[in-house]
Amino acid sequence: MIEFSEQERRMVLKLVYYGPAMSGKTTNLLALHDQLSLEGRGELMLLDTTEDRTIYFDLLPFFYEAPSGMKIKLKVYTVPGQVRHDATRKAVLQRADGVVFVADSRSEQMAINFESFDNLEKNLAMVGLSIERLPLVVQFNKRDLPGVVDEREIRAAWEPSGLPVIMASALQGWGVQETFRTVLGLTFDGVDARYGLSARFGVERDEFIRAVLRPAEQ
Amino acid sequence: MPHTQLEFVIGAEKRIADIVSRAEIEPLLRSLVKAGPHYAAVLDEDGLPICRQGGDGDDDAARELRHNLLVEGEPKGTLQVFCGAAIGGVADGLTLLARDALQLIITNNLKRMLTTEVHTAIVQESYDQLVETNRKLVESEKRYRELAVSLEQQVEARTADLQKAYSRMLQQEKLAAVGSLAAGMAHEINNPNGFVRSNLNTFGRYLERLREMLNCYQLLISGNTPLQQLISQTEQRRRELKIDFVLTDSAELLRQSLEGVDRIAAIVADLKSFSHVDDAGPADADLNLELERTLSVLDPQMAGRVTVVRDLQPLPPVACQPGLIDQALLTIMQNALLSRNAGLELRVSSRVEEGKIVIRIADNGCGMSPEVLRRVFEPFFTTREVGSGTGMGLTVAREIIAGVGGSVELASVEGEGTTVSVLLPLPETAGTVT
Repeated sequence: MIEFSEQERRMVLKLVYYGPAMSGKTTNLLALHDQLSLEGRGELMLLDTTEDRTIYFDLLPFFYEAPSGMKIKLKVYTVPGQVRHDATRKAVLQRADGVVFVADSRSEQMAINFESFDNLEKNLAMVGLSIERLPLVVQFNKRDLPGVVDEREIRAAWEPSGLPVIMASALQGWGVQETFRTVLGLTFDGVDARYGLSARFGVERDEFIRAVLRPAEQ
Repeated sequence: MPHTQLEFVIGAEKRIADIVSRAEIEPLLRSLVKAGPHYAAVLDEDGLPICRQGGDGDDDAARELRHNLLVEGEPKGTLQVFCGAAIGGVADGLTLLARDALQLIITNNLKRMLTTEVHTAIVQESYDQLVETNRKLVESEKRYRELAVSLEQQVEARTADLQKAYSRMLQQEKLAAVGSLAAGMAHEINNPNGFVRSNLNTFGRYLERLREMLNCYQLLISGNTPLQQLISQTEQRRRELKIDFVLTDSAELLRQSLEGVDRIAAIVADLKSFSHVDDAGPADADLNLELERTLSVLDPQMAGRVTVVRDLQPLPPVACQPGLIDQALLTIMQNALLSRNAGLELRVSSRVEEGKIVIRIADNGCGMSPEVLRRVFEPFFTTREVGSGTGMGLTVAREIIAGVGGSVELASVEGEGTTVSVLLPLPETAGTVT
């Protein structure tokens, strides 16, 4: 949680798209940017990149105001995936309320996925977050490419962890909203449990998710 | 170095006044007002002006234009422009232009701030890591330093212990050598002692007879008895007491006894010179003399069963503790004596060879297998029965020889015999002679 002011009835939440380099984290945000209505969200902010690689982070902000007047600002970040930017990843991960782990589905990337997931686990611990309690969704991206690992195999490997696993192609634009919706729901539940979003501030889960995921007008 | 902990949370909310300063927007607003509007202002989240240019104007037909200024897509500030009727529709275009320019400044400033914050956070973290790494290094260095110091002390203590144990061992080895020598010596001393005692007994009895004989002569001299009778009686007594034999034999007994006592004296002298009890420390020694001394103290053990063949060439004097050298030579020779029961031949030679003093002690005894030969210098290694050898003899001998800069070499053929070579450096002054 970035900020919470009960007096001002205002809350700023942070979601982080984590994962190995080139797994499609920024592409996920671009797809959300394209697919969701401008109403209730800000512009995508891409911080300095070199050769299309994120070196700091990207930011897509969302705004929601409940009928009760409670304002929730949702800041969705990506981290740089390259190993050398570990310090930046850690800095972005600080105070996250939910994490999407974007994995690359190609078979040759499996080891790199696990390595990055280990890194996530380690960094979460370092910034004082518990991987057991933090809302976490795993997305297997690039399903459109040839040579991807079979979905059943992926599910067999990851589902014992209890984490939601979602197939996607951010480039083609599918699976992206489902991923976002899932992490949003889990994050809402987590915050609701701790702060009583619905009970004390009149924020309804489904309404919140529907508003944030309002589709762009065609 | 103390430092202020900078705490950035990426995503922390910023007020518009944190992102743009009055100085940055003032020129823009001034230019805008020059183009016509009465005044232009940028207001913060609470509607308070960050910067305002121009005056109110007293224009009843004037209108106010307002545009949101976004931070991360969220309306935070407001551009407020108050336009007179005179400038008409141009005002809308001008205001939009100013809004876009301000929005660009805000967004770019925000991006710069965010990158700077991330950068600073990373630098801070790297620095903290460096400080931490350095602290750990210093700590571990300290630990190793302490370890090194205590290790040194431990090594010193161990070395002292070992030195003590070694001295004790040397002493024990010497005692053992002396002990085995003493057994032979005792026998050798007992022999003459026995016959000297027996001779003295016999001589005691002879003395009785001589006393009686002398009494007879005393009677003769006092002259109370007829002379003729006395002469014949005395003569008869003299024959009965075998005085002639007693006198001859007494001389023989005394000669033998003196010889025996001399032998004892000689043995004691040998032992004394061998043990070097009178030596104070290092002295120039003639190693041939030391060889002879060692052989002579072993003489009782060798008597009758060992043939000693000497081939001793003149040697330059060597600075050493003769007592120690003798102990080493004794050990080597005792080993040789144990190598065979009968028919042992002990060849002892000394010479100068290739700039070294070489003493060879060779036997025609049982010899050693290569396995045994490899281990003979090992401390506590012995082929003798438990209790009869310490296993330290040759180890100590080698140490003694090494102590004067020399070495001990062994050559052995199983069943044929062993040759021990003691190699010693020539005294430096002698080097020029050869």
